[in-house]
Amino acid sequence: MSKENGIKGGLKQVLGGDLRQFVMVGAVIVALIIFQILNNGRMITSSNFQNIISGNAYVFTLSIGMVMVIILGQIDLSVGSVAGFVGMTVAITASEYGWPWWVATLGGLGIGALIGAWQGFWLSKMGIPGFISTLAGMMIFRGGVIWMSHSISRPAPEELSWFGAGSLPEWGPNTGLNNSTLLLGVIAIAAVVFMQLRKWKRLATAESKPPLWPVIVRLVVIVGVIGYLTYLFGSGNIGTSFPVPGLIVGFLVVIYHIITQHTRFGRHIYAVGGNKAAAALTGVNVSRTYFLAMFNMSILAAVAGIMFIGRSTAAGPSDGNSWELDAIAAVFIGGAAVSGGIGTVVATIVGGLFMAVLNNGLMLYGVSADQTQVIKGLVLLAAVAVDVLNKQQGRPSIFSRLSRKKAAPAEIPQEQIATESAA
Amino acid sequence: MKNNKRIIAVAAAFALAVPLALTGCSGDRGSGGGDTGSGFPADATVGVALPWLGTQNWAEANDMFAEQLAEAGFKPLVQQADNKVPQQQSQIEAMIEQGASVIVVGPVDGSQLGTQLEKAKEKGILIIGYDRLLENTTGVDAVVQYGSIRTGELQGQSLLEGLKELKGDGPYNIELFAGGPADPNAPNFFTGAMSVLQPKIDDGTLVVVSGQTTFEQAATLDWDNSKAQARMDTLLSGFYSDKQIDGVLSPNDGIARAILTACAQAGQDQPVVDGLDAENESIVSIWEGHQYSTTAKPTDKLVAKTIELIQAAQKGEALPEPTSSTNNGKIDVPLYELDPVIVTKANIKEVFADDPSRLELLK
Amino acid sequence: MEQDSILQMQHITKTFPGVRALDDVTMTVKRGDIHAICGENGAGKSTLMKVLSGVHPFGSYEGRILYQGEEVTFANIRASEEAGIVIIHQELALIPELSITENIFLGNEPMKGGLIDWHTARKRAIELLARVGIDIDPSIQIKNLGVGQQQLVEISKALSKDVKLLILDEPTSALNESDSENLLEILRGLQARGITCIMISHKLAEIAKIADAITVIRDGKTVESYPVVAGQVDEDRIIRAMVGRSLDQRYPEHTSNIGEVVLEVHDWRVEHPAIPGRLVCKDESFYVRAGEIVGFAGLMGAGRTELARSLFGHSYGIFQSGRLSIGGKDVKAQNVEAAIQAGLSYLPEDRKVLGLNLLDTVKRTIVSANEKAILRGPLLDSAKEVQVAEQYRKLLNIKTPDVGVGVNTLSGGNQQKVVLAKWMYPDPQVLLLDEPTRGIDVGAKYEIYKLIQQLADEGKAVVVISSELPELLGITDRIYTICEGRITGEMATKDADQETLMRLMTTTEAMA
Repeated sequence: MSKENGIKGGLKQVLGGDLRQFVMVGAVIVALIIFQILNNGRMITSSNFQNIISGNAYVFTLSIGMVMVIILGQIDLSVGSVAGFVGMTVAITASEYGWPWWVATLGGLGIGALIGAWQGFWLSKMGIPGFISTLAGMMIFRGGVIWMSHSISRPAPEELSWFGAGSLPEWGPNTGLNNSTLLLGVIAIAAVVFMQLRKWKRLATAESKPPLWPVIVRLVVIVGVIGYLTYLFGSGNIGTSFPVPGLIVGFLVVIYHIITQHTRFGRHIYAVGGNKAAAALTGVNVSRTYFLAMFNMSILAAVAGIMFIGRSTAAGPSDGNSWELDAIAAVFIGGAAVSGGIGTVVATIVGGLFMAVLNNGLMLYGVSADQTQVIKGLVLLAAVAVDVLNKQQGRPSIFSRLSRKKAAPAEIPQEQIATESAA
Repeated sequence: MKNNKRIIAVAAAFALAVPLALTGCSGDRGSGGGDTGSGFPADATVGVALPWLGTQNWAEANDMFAEQLAEAGFKPLVQQADNKVPQQQSQIEAMIEQGASVIVVGPVDGSQLGTQLEKAKEKGILIIGYDRLLENTTGVDAVVQYGSIRTGELQGQSLLEGLKELKGDGPYNIELFAGGPADPNAPNFFTGAMSVLQPKIDDGTLVVVSGQTTFEQAATLDWDNSKAQARMDTLLSGFYSDKQIDGVLSPNDGIARAILTACAQAGQDQPVVDGLDAENESIVSIWEGHQYSTTAKPTDKLVAKTIELIQAAQKGEALPEPTSSTNNGKIDVPLYELDPVIVTKANIKEVFADDPSRLELLK
Repeated sequence: MEQDSILQMQHITKTFPGVRALDDVTMTVKRGDIHAICGENGAGKSTLMKVLSGVHPFGSYEGRILYQGEEVTFANIRASEEAGIVIIHQELALIPELSITENIFLGNEPMKGGLIDWHTARKRAIELLARVGIDIDPSIQIKNLGVGQQQLVEISKALSKDVKLLILDEPTSALNESDSENLLEILRGLQARGITCIMISHKLAEIAKIADAITVIRDGKTVESYPVVAGQVDEDRIIRAMVGRSLDQRYPEHTSNIGEVVLEVHDWRVEHPAIPGRLVCKDESFYVRAGEIVGFAGLMGAGRTELARSLFGHSYGIFQSGRLSIGGKDVKAQNVEAAIQAGLSYLPEDRKVLGLNLLDTVKRTIVSANEKAILRGPLLDSAKEVQVAEQYRKLLNIKTPDVGVGVNTLSGGNQQKVVLAKWMYPDPQVLLLDEPTRGIDVGAKYEIYKLIQQLADEGKAVVVISSELPELLGITDRIYTICEGRITGEMATKDADQETLMRLMTTTEAMA
């Protein structure tokens, strides 16, 4: 093996085999550094990071549900309208009918669930493609918002602003950081260390043991990153912390990562999206899978809508306009395939984060909205094009293109040749 | 195995040590507070958050703020939100990040910026609402705008005068259009206009043939011309197959032109239509005798007034006496209201006497 | 000798990142020959043809190609087609919603005054179809044609491009016997008109019938290349060259140990899902005993697959009546999940369309039909998943460096083993295997036969559905014949021969 292969192999081991996700993470970091320089150090600050997270929490939330729908090979165009509809419902029930904020919020989530059942019904029971049934939903709920609000913005319950823009409490000794954020960071680090070591232990069998050093290197890197973020978020002005909406999104990411990767339902989403006929012949209940994914999407849209009115302090008639497009963009930048079967929650969030950082950086730099749109469009296209090129059969990946120069035609186990031209 | 356990222990210790190490090296956390009273540097950054560039008056405001703020010695930071609330929220946050001393906000939706404006307020930033009211927040120091009720009154009067001038004696068949419902000014325009028109509807001089006289019925979502045109088409085919339409109340110029197009396509005589904003196309249309009038709210005056307030605050002076004040849901906001100007073919050359680019159109 | 050859490929080497797919391959094709290329899956046959046809453009490989005596450097398929080299892939490239004429002239439409001259196109389509011996209206849509006819339309399309060298990749793999026979006839006809053919095939019997020369490729290298006389081909020599070892027998020795009846089907009646009133299974009954391998012989469309799938949780057609029991217990499974629960497994005939999610990994695929077994609480146990997958990788000798890789990186034979593992993991009592060895090479076939026998030896009831009669005769204990939704015959394999079976497969009269 040549040296390059050794380095590449080592990197692969450290990163856990999935290079592409880390390419995106790298892109986010590079973007941050570039904007940090362009904006004279105004990019990587605690308050700006807080802004990025709480300003995009609703998109992240939507994109978590959206990636599941897209893995299924479907799409949901109604999420923006549903978010707007639920947000307006909560604001109206609270401000006009005088419902307590938490009753109004639960009511909003309930409406989200009902809408989800409605969308799921048309796809799973009637077999109407998601593109069409949710296009209809988009019109129905967009119209519904305007209808019930008479196009007038309504104030949101004040308590909700904690969910949409709030900070965690300050307590305990003066550590120089927000102690809630510090605690979160410590919990996150402990969880990561525990998970990685447990995974490594369980993979180790009596006869073979995977090497420990990649795990250690990986842990050092992850712990460093989390530690730095903890510091960054925690060292803002007194009264600020890692934002509450970010915490909600983080919680959702963990839950949905587990659902998609470690439950039967999650597997079934990939199975149906990858090959519906094969999934059906494997015992997957295709129609139930469709239903649950659409159902879940609308509930998350409701969550996003509620978080947004919390941040905006009011629900407006145009809330949710074109949010579905932001969510869909995040999903595809995260490497999902239009034809379904491919995509992950974590990569989607990284994709969404990339767009958020780009948007924020350009804004700080004072780039106008029209130019920002153009740049974002080009970046979306470029990200997906790179991905498509990478996936094309027989083409070297970017990584190997970079490291190939000197690498001799490697000796590969003979059986790998079989990958080409299988009958 | 033993060896591995030791490595695990080392890793765990390291994991816990890193954040603690990081906490050790930090220390001073600001409180974020500030105060407004004592002025700010003459070259301070002034953020201007505009909703979009889709109409001429916003595009003009965009350019004028950039130019005139720079001339006045400030560092202008003018951004547009593409008519999206979340985008504008982030832009205002970005302006705070950039250390702006003043933020001028032409809101997409004046009630949905509470969190950001209050954050700015905490930092001691001067917040001026531009052209539209900032509602439901304590984070606003002043609002500069053309009186929107007054604008509506002028539109209504202009429509009545036009009808008398061009359509002989009444009764006149008219239809009503209002602006985008998300814009807090739109209902005010309509209210103002109706305060003039309603008595004439009641006494039979004006007949709203479709019977659609509430704001909700007359509203045009997002101020979208094509939606207005579609509504006019529907009204004409539904109610005017055997009638002539004499006049239409239009909330702005784009919608006025859409209405005129719809009428022409339906084979109607040209109705009397008012407008708003004095857009170039409408100026030409008035000059050529199609649109009857527009209501000019000269952007330069509004921008000049805004900059006047900023300069006063920069020197640490008290803001000049407001024309009135209004409750925005949380506090009483000082209003600096300007009077708009009605423009018809008769006075058009006077109004734009010192506006060469518009005079150019009148040939 | 030189003038005589239409094509010489010299020292062709093609590497993909990390994989040397072709290693110094040299071959010569004589003008007017039917030249067969044999090799196991993954040996490099298809890659070689892709190099020849410009799919892998000049510059992406090493070596020289001489065509009609001159060196050629094709940049893409269009360039090679202009030179008269046309490749017909195994997966047909016709558009189902378009007519025959439109398909034949797609991208090559006869023009008159800036518009497509459909009149001429149609006339030429009729001529071309006549040359491949079919007489049908060229305005029929492709989707209404059988696979055999579609193949002929593909050849017509090639003829329309004035083909000199026609390359066929596994042309008969999807055809039944009579269509295959017909196709071979047509190739002979083309040969008589001076068209040279290169044919990639697994079916040695066909090669033996019509090839004039044979090149065997193994592991990206030419093993041997020699002229033959049609009808006098030594099949064993080809097999030896392909697998690099001598195969005394193509079917492993096996002594069955047959026990009690496990699967029993009574008066099974199924209606076609789209055509009301048409029955795809007409009140048929059969049984399979523990440890027994039972063959279902039938032509395509006879109802074999339909029967198997309707037994498997009613996953095909509209169930009307009938009784299904496993191990003496009635099974009323109305969906696939329940059928798996009841002890049934069905390995679908089309691996890529019905058997696999090609985007998935090996380990996930192996556990996919029995995810309950790796549940820990509500979550799937990924460590157990790896253990299970590793166990099957060893048991079935699945050639993959890691069970975490995508199934799309495996060769056809190994993919099929993964599917087999997937259906073994639920530990079924009855396995319905639909064309278990289609499209995989001789070596892998042998391994799959051994696995089938092992399964039977474990006491499972195994049904093998196959179009290849020698295969059924080679590995089963008993054979049912099916024709038009009816079981037309049943016999012990030792009493059966190809002719008897073929007669029963083509007659609707039940045996006396």
